[in-house]
Amino acid sequence: MAIETMTVEAAQAMAVGYKAIGAGLAVGLAGVGTGMGEMGIGAAAVGATAEDRDMFGLALLFTVLPETIVIFGLVIALLLLF
Amino acid sequence: MFQPKPMTHLLIAASKEQMTSVVTELYRHRVFHITDFVDQGKEGYEGVRIGTPLEGAGDLSTNLLKIRSLENVFQTSPETLFDVPKRPVESIRQAIERELPAIEAEVNDLTVKRSNAESRIRDSEQHIAELRPFALVPLEMDLYRGYDSITAIAGYIGSDVTIAVPHEKYYAARKDGNFIVVFVEKQHATEVERTLSDADFQSVTIPNETGSVQAAVDKYTADQTQAKAAFAEANAKISELKAKYADLLAACDEVLSGDVERAEAPLRFATTEEAFVIDGWVPADHIEPITAGLSQATGGSVYVTVDDGDVDATAIPVEYNNPSFAKPSELFMDVYARPRYNEIDPTLILAIMFPIFFGLIVGDVGYGIIFLILALFVRKMAMFRGEGGKNLVKILVGASISTIFFGILYSECLGYALPWHAVMFQRHLAIGADAAHATGPDAIPLLIMSVWFGIIYITVGRIFGMINHYRMDHAGKHRTKAIIGQFGWIAILWGLLILVWSFFSVEQMFGISGMMPDLTNSPLIAPGLSVSALAGLILLVLGCIFLAQENVLDLMEIPTIISHVLSFCRIAAVGLSSVAIAMVVNYLSFGMFIDPALANLDAVGVIMIIVGVLIFICGHALNVGLGLLGGGLHSIRLHYVEFFTKFYVGGGIKYNPFGLKRKFSEE
Repeated sequence: MAIETMTVEAAQAMAVGYKAIGAGLAVGLAGVGTGMGEMGIGAAAVGATAEDRDMFGLALLFTVLPETIVIFGLVIALLLLF
Repeated sequence: MFQPKPMTHLLIAASKEQMTSVVTELYRHRVFHITDFVDQGKEGYEGVRIGTPLEGAGDLSTNLLKIRSLENVFQTSPETLFDVPKRPVESIRQAIERELPAIEAEVNDLTVKRSNAESRIRDSEQHIAELRPFALVPLEMDLYRGYDSITAIAGYIGSDVTIAVPHEKYYAARKDGNFIVVFVEKQHATEVERTLSDADFQSVTIPNETGSVQAAVDKYTADQTQAKAAFAEANAKISELKAKYADLLAACDEVLSGDVERAEAPLRFATTEEAFVIDGWVPADHIEPITAGLSQATGGSVYVTVDDGDVDATAIPVEYNNPSFAKPSELFMDVYARPRYNEIDPTLILAIMFPIFFGLIVGDVGYGIIFLILALFVRKMAMFRGEGGKNLVKILVGASISTIFFGILYSECLGYALPWHAVMFQRHLAIGADAAHATGPDAIPLLIMSVWFGIIYITVGRIFGMINHYRMDHAGKHRTKAIIGQFGWIAILWGLLILVWSFFSVEQMFGISGMMPDLTNSPLIAPGLSVSALAGLILLVLGCIFLAQENVLDLMEIPTIISHVLSFCRIAAVGLSSVAIAMVVNYLSFGMFIDPALANLDAVGVIMIIVGVLIFICGHALNVGLGLLGGGLHSIRLHYVEFFTKFYVGGGIKYNPFGLKRKFSEE
C-alpha cells in the first residue's frame, strides 16, 4: 500500500498556490458581478443622457455604483496575498 | 467658503416710460437675476399682466433669424469661434444695416445655384440609371416607339421564356438581373405580359430618348460633370464667404442676441397699464452700484426696494463663492448638481481632496510627468475651448502635480523604484527577476489608511448632514428627529469601530503599529467584556435607537456603513493594480525581450529589442489611460457616492444674470 507523503515545503508551496487561486477567483468573480451590474445601468444611463445631457452626472453616478463589488474582490485578494 | 454667495431679493418698480432705461441699465450691470413673472391670478395681483416686448423686437428677431440662417449655410456658430478680435458695437450695428443685405443676397444666390446643381446631378444620375439596361440591347432608342400596331415591353426577368405568339425578343443575361425586351402586336400584349409575369418579370419604363443609348448616356454624363463643377464652384464660393464673414456674423449674432434679450425682457416682468415691477436677485455686494445706476438712469423716478421677507430658499439663485484655486472644481459640482442656497457647498473639500486621492491612487513620477505634459499640451493646442475645458485642464494639472509628489514618496517611476526607499507605503510587487528578494507591497497599511479616509469622510459627511438638516428643514419635531438620526449614524459607525478595536488588535494581526488604536488591553468589567467594548456597545445601541426613531426601515441600511467605509479601499486597490500593470509591462519588455537580446546580440536580438520597446510603449500608454480613468473616476466617485449621499441635496437654481457675456463685441 502506497503511503502518500508530503514535505513541509511542498505543503507550503501548495498553500501559496491555493491562495493565488483564491485571490484570482475573488477578483475575477467580483469583476463579472460588477460587469453584470453595470451592464443594464450603463445602457439605460447612455439612453437617458442621450435624451437629456443634464442627466450625465446622475447617470455616471448610477453606473459606477456596482463598481464597489470588484473593489471588495480586490481587497480580499490583497488580504489573501499579502 | 462652504456657502454660496449671499443674495439679496430686489424689487424694482417704475412707470412704463422708464422701462427702456431700466432694462438698459440692468443689462449693463449684468448682475441682476430676473425671476420670471408667472401670471397665476394670485391674490393681490389683479390687473397685473406679463409685459409686452419693447418696440422693434420683431425687426431684431427677424434680423437675428437671417443671421442664424446664414450661419447655418456656413455651418458655423459663435460657440465654435475663439480668439476673434473684439469689434466695437457701433461698427457691428452699421454692418448689420449696410453689409448684411448684400451678404444675404450673395449667399442666397449661391445656395440657389448649389441646390440647382444638386438637382441636376440627381436628374442625370436617374436618367443614366434608367438607360443602363438598354445598353445591352442592340437597338436605337427611336425604335422602341412610334408604331400603330406593335408595342414594346421591357424589364428585368428571372430567366428566359418562350413566347407563344409572333414576336421579336432581345434577351441579355446579367448578374444583377436578366434584361428582356419584347416587341409584339398590341392584341397579344396582355397574353405576353401574363407569360412574362410568370417568370418574375419587373417592367421598366422605356426612356423617352432618341439615337443610340451610348449617345444618350454620354449626353447625361456630360451634363452631370457640368453640374458637379457648378456645385463645387458654388461650394468653394460659400467657403470663401465663410472665411470672410464668419467672424462678422458671430459678432452680429452676439449683438443682436443681446438686443433681442433686452427687447424681450418685459416678457418676464409684471406690468399694469401704467407701471411695471421687476422681481429678482442680486449678489449682496452689488446692491449699491445697481441702485445708484438705476436712479441715475431714470432721473430718480424708480422705486428700488430690498425685500427681506420670507422667501422659499429653493427659489434663490445660487452662485458659488470659492477661493480661486477651487473654482475649476465647480465643474464637478455642476456635473452632480448645484448646491441649494442654504446648504453646505462642499466644493472646497472636493478641490483639495480630489488631487490628493488622484495622487494617492496613481502615485508615479513618470505618469505624473506624462499627465502634466498632456495637460500642458492640451492647453497649448487649445483643444478644450470654452470655460469647462479650461477648468478640466486646470484640474488635470493639479492632479498630475499631486501624482508626481506621491510618486516621490512612494519611490516610483514608470513602475521602477527611484534611487531611494519609499518614504511611505512601499508599493512594489514581487514581479520579475528579483521577485525572490522582494518584500512585496505594504498593502495592509495602505488599506488601513484608505479605511481611515472612509471613516473621516463619512463622519464629516454625517456632521454636514446634521448642519444641513438644521438649516434647511422647518423647525419642529421632524427636524430634531432628522438631526438625531444623522447623529445615530455617527454613533453606529464609531460604536462598531470601538467594538472591533476592543476585540481585535490590528497591531498583532498584521504586525503594524500605530495605524489603528488597540483597545484589547482595557480593563475588564465582566468576563469577555472590557470597558471599551461596553462603551462601543452602548454607542452602537444608542445609534440604532436614534436611527430608528426617525425611520425604523433605516436600520436595514446599517450594512452600508461597512460597504461605504470599505469602498475607500479602492484608493489602495486601484493604486496597487496600476503599479502591478506597470511592473508587468516592464518585466515583459525588459525581462523577457530586451535584456536577453542585449546579452547575446544578433539579428534576432534586434527584432526582440524592437518588440520589447513596442511592448514598453504600448503597455505604459495603456496604463496612462487606465491611470487617468481610474484615478479620476474613482476619486470623484468617492465624493459623489460615499460622501455627498450623506448630506447633499443639490438642485439649486443656477445664478444667471440678465445681460450678455461679450466675446466678439465691446461697447
